[in-house]
Amino acid sequence: MSVAAATTTTTVPRQEHVETASKADRRRVRTAFAFLAPSLIGLILFLVIPIIFVIVLSLVQWNMLTPMKWVGLSNYVNIFEFDGFGHSLIVTLYYVILNIPIQTAFALGMAMLLRRKQAGTEVIRIIAVLPFLSTPVAMGVVWNWIFNPSTGLVNQFLGHLGITGPAWLSNEATAMPVIAFANIWQYAGYNMLFFLAGLAAIPPAMYEAASLDGAGKWEQFRRVTLPLLRPTMLFVLVTGVIGSFQVFDTVYVMTAGGPGNATEVANLNIYNTAFAGFRIGEASAMSVVLFLIILAITIAQFRYFNKRITYEIA
Amino acid sequence: MSAVTTTSAAVATGLATEERTSRLGKGVRLTGFYLVILIIALIFILPYLMSIFAAFKTLPQILAQSPLRPPTSPTWSNFSTLFSQYDFGRYLANTLLVTVILTAGQVTFSMMGAYAFARMEFPGRDSLFWLYLMTLMVPNIVTLVPLYVLFAHSHLLNTYWAIFLPYVLGVPYQVFLMRQYFMTIPKEVMEAARLDGCSEGRILWKIIVPISRPILITATLLAFIFGWNNFMWPLIVTNSNSLNVLTVGIANFDSNFGVEWNLVLAGALVALIPMVILFAIFQKHIVNSISLTGINR
Repeated sequence: MSVAAATTTTTVPRQEHVETASKADRRRVRTAFAFLAPSLIGLILFLVIPIIFVIVLSLVQWNMLTPMKWVGLSNYVNIFEFDGFGHSLIVTLYYVILNIPIQTAFALGMAMLLRRKQAGTEVIRIIAVLPFLSTPVAMGVVWNWIFNPSTGLVNQFLGHLGITGPAWLSNEATAMPVIAFANIWQYAGYNMLFFLAGLAAIPPAMYEAASLDGAGKWEQFRRVTLPLLRPTMLFVLVTGVIGSFQVFDTVYVMTAGGPGNATEVANLNIYNTAFAGFRIGEASAMSVVLFLIILAITIAQFRYFNKRITYEIA
Repeated sequence: MSAVTTTSAAVATGLATEERTSRLGKGVRLTGFYLVILIIALIFILPYLMSIFAAFKTLPQILAQSPLRPPTSPTWSNFSTLFSQYDFGRYLANTLLVTVILTAGQVTFSMMGAYAFARMEFPGRDSLFWLYLMTLMVPNIVTLVPLYVLFAHSHLLNTYWAIFLPYVLGVPYQVFLMRQYFMTIPKEVMEAARLDGCSEGRILWKIIVPISRPILITATLLAFIFGWNNFMWPLIVTNSNSLNVLTVGIANFDSNFGVEWNLVLAGALVALIPMVILFAIFQKHIVNSISLTGINR
């Protein structure tokens, strides 16, 4: 509001200096756009145009060699009937369900544990963040080794206990949980930081009031900590869900979608359809559907948490 | 009198035992606490440690020994094989080149855009800023296929340009992040400089940049980490070995030589170790900036 007001006042210069003022104004606007130009050109070329273009592409049949053929909405039907996109969405959802609750609980648990100022907590906090920087493709290779059925650490360890471990990544039941584990390992510490910041913002008086009312530790956690962490929780869940729906790097390296198509997540299906099959129309339709799903889930999460926040804190 | 002393004595001994048990309880709890955080630390450290051990062993040693055992006679041969017989030197150089260009451009151009939005006046500023914000909600995958088609038609596939071009002109998230920071700088600072005849470029370079160092370091780190780890886009737009970045090189190498763990793990470390070093240097800053970017996002 104040910004709009400021703009109008500067565009109406004082009468006596009309000539020079408007000249200076024009120069200032030109300078502003010169500053803005690179990022604006980038935004238009690499975001706005592709977003419009993907919708157009989703309505054609095209292999990048022969001319495009207009097919209307039929790609949106075909991706579910012939390309297994429904399966991919279910697999992706399964991955999100394996990944997000455990990752969030683990991050919150670590934050609760490491929030106190005790010798050692600082070091562990830093160590837990390191995986956030690690190249997912390279880590995928490391996990391939750790979960290798014969030479990996996990099955060697299980062997000492007299258990024969499964072939983790080529077993339909275990492949996806292992990929989810890799992701939890990578992002739990990162999310812990947000919970630490959220916890630090809770006034200690809230806990004192609660314990005067006779609330135990668990009650305090449930009635004070969790409600006051809702904004943090919303942020962690929204960014986590958006990211998880687009998982690609670790899946590509660890299973390439297998065994069979048990781990063929949405992004992998889009990749295969577009860049192995060169069916640009179908891949575009998949991208649009995935975008709409992510958008719907994000909006749903905002609504849920906003309602909770207004009811329980206000 | 004696009754009183006995009761007080009883109370005293009672208190003492209570104190002792509570101290004992505290000790047990503290031990438990350190045990748990030790396990947490191991979970995060072990994959790195084991890979480093393995990268300095020969393949037979890796297969015969426990992954937790440090190499008895460490060998550099895996790394020298990767750099002399395979193209990891090339991959590393490509990654560095592309990531440095991407980072320099992204931070500079995002900063210029952020400054225009924060402290300059021009028609359409608010609606343009909304456009930037809207695109923050669009997942990367949406633009992937159309961008590929656009790059193919511009004959940009299989060039260095293709790898960094979509990110080098600035990204909305960085513009947003820096704009929020610049908004906290008092307007008077810039107005005074303008009255002294300072150009906007000079104001940005001489006044804004020095006082905005924390956010600029944050932006630089975020851009660098993104560029270094980026995989899907380079995988799609390059298909010649000489243009591969580390991520693509590692993935290809892994699918060709997956069972030669000595080489594969050493290759993974070529990408991982620089990030560990970066983290060691900037750990405080990275931790702080993650919390900061999260709250603002």
